[in-house]
Amino acid sequence: MRRTLMKDPVFWLCLILLTGLLLLSFGNTIFRDGQVNQISNRYAEDGTFLATSPLKPSSDQWLGTDRSGNDLFQMMIEGFKWTIGICTIVAISRMTLSLVVAIPLAFRNARVNRYLKLILDGFLVLPLSLVSLLLLFSSLVFMDSTVVPPLFDRVSFELIVLILLGIPSLSLYLIAETRQLLNQEFMIVAQTLGGSPWYRFRRHIWPHLVPTLTIVFMQQFIQTLMLLIHLSLLGIFFAGTVNLYEGVMPTIFEWSSMFGYYYNQFSATSWLNHMFLVPLIGLALVVFFSNLFMSRLERAFRFRQQLKPIKLSASRAQDEAAATSMVDPFTPVALKSHHDSD
Amino acid sequence: MFFIARKSIQLIVAFFVLIAISALPALVAQMKFNPASYWEGLQQQFAQLTKLDEITYFNVTAQKEVLLLPSLQPYIQETLIIFTTAMLVSVVCAILYAYLFYRSGRRTRTLLKQTTRTLEMVPDLFWIILSQFLVIYLFKMTGYSNIEIAGTYADSIRFLPIVTLTLTTLFFFIKWLTTQVLEQESAPFLELARAKGIRPTALFWKHLLPTMIYRFYLFFRANIITILSSLLIIEYTFQVQGLFRFALYFGQMPILMVILFLIYLPIFIIDLLAEWLIPNAWKGGI
Repeated sequence: MRRTLMKDPVFWLCLILLTGLLLLSFGNTIFRDGQVNQISNRYAEDGTFLATSPLKPSSDQWLGTDRSGNDLFQMMIEGFKWTIGICTIVAISRMTLSLVVAIPLAFRNARVNRYLKLILDGFLVLPLSLVSLLLLFSSLVFMDSTVVPPLFDRVSFELIVLILLGIPSLSLYLIAETRQLLNQEFMIVAQTLGGSPWYRFRRHIWPHLVPTLTIVFMQQFIQTLMLLIHLSLLGIFFAGTVNLYEGVMPTIFEWSSMFGYYYNQFSATSWLNHMFLVPLIGLALVVFFSNLFMSRLERAFRFRQQLKPIKLSASRAQDEAAATSMVDPFTPVALKSHHDSD
Repeated sequence: MFFIARKSIQLIVAFFVLIAISALPALVAQMKFNPASYWEGLQQQFAQLTKLDEITYFNVTAQKEVLLLPSLQPYIQETLIIFTTAMLVSVVCAILYAYLFYRSGRRTRTLLKQTTRTLEMVPDLFWIILSQFLVIYLFKMTGYSNIEIAGTYADSIRFLPIVTLTLTTLFFFIKWLTTQVLEQESAPFLELARAKGIRPTALFWKHLLPTMIYRFYLFFRANIITILSSLLIIEYTFQVQGLFRFALYFGQMPILMVILFLIYLPIFIIDLLAEWLIPNAWKGGI
């Protein structure tokens, strides 16, 4: 799998793009204290007034500015680490917790699995954005901008909700996946030979699960991003929405919140302005490239399954041939093949 | 008999779970999880069960409290129309695509695969914005304004929501069907049929498709959460007067309970119908 990926230019393109943006984003925080330039008016060289914010994209402000004069390019750079960070944390925590739940359950009999499915059936048809809205709305919409709780509390609260909501479906999936592995012939042999569940998991199931888990990680990543976008459209920005006199405001620069924020504004100025297109295209590209990344992983994984090299040492090959030979299992293979050739 | 018992238990359990979900707003207060108040909320919801017909909501147009159950009918209708039409169109299109894929040569297949693989990576949101943009662009260029881009209370918007929902689900279905066609193509029963001289058209429609239908249904059922999420956001952005948008605007716990029931019930009925109507042979049995 690794070798296929190393040779894959598309995989490298996705990886370089994502890490490059991430480095830029952290660089902005470290070297510029996460600052975003504010430009309210644009003047010509001789000092004549040209335009006021929101400024259109130009060579000075690459992606233009929003209505309060924030440079959109810098905002996007600054926000990238939040968006990626949230999705990564949520995806990894969901996977870890689901593994903790799913693996012991997968070793139980099929009935437990059936009951679990029965109980979760009602939950599994409801859109996650609706359920998370129910939980988040009362806590993350602040009517008074002076009594907003600290950032850490808001972020951890939202992360907990987002993580917990994803666990049921992911656990069911991992249980099914593990059970399928447990039914394979080599697992039955491992059980017959007396391997304890923990040993069987560590030695046999884990190596088989890892490639699936990388793909699951990307799926969860994209799912979380879509959930964030949907929530921000519904008016819940990440880390809270502040209700001001002019309307709602996100509290941090983060791509999905920026999108929801500008989407709610766009009818006020003009249809399809740059403020709303910048986060939209950015997000669409992130989703697109993450999907691309995932499809390359899937492809590499498929190749690995197809081209699994069968290496047999001479002695092992002899043993196997001897074991399968029905005539006289105790005759040495080399000798027998000699006879055959006669 | 066993089937009916199993299904009724499923329905009852699901109702309990839905009640538990509808009480979720009581669980959280000021960013703290509060089990005691959740328990109270649950009790309230159960008490409400006996008087479902007394639930009211505040109708903004009429400026007064209106009984919920009689006034929900147009919302249910709107959501059902959009959902079923979009599903029918995308299923038919996906099956036609699968047929085209099955009949085409290797080079066309690669082309088709590449195109759909790229298109399926586009998020649903992009389709929404793109379709709105195209309609406005069309209006600016030609003055054609018969396509609505947002609904109001008086007139309903159906065309664009159906188109966007169809597009998002279509590529989803296509991906699954293509992998299935590739997997099943060399199955022994198809080889035998081919060896007997059955033509490719009949091979696809009579032999390949029936074996896929039940598993296709299972795939649809497993991924219905994604489709409904798209529907939720589509209803919200296009201002469709549908059930999901209603749930977003009137989020009180009793109303939520009724709406969650209403969302689950059709899915349960489809489940029931699928298990009854799809013949055993199609499910891989004898």
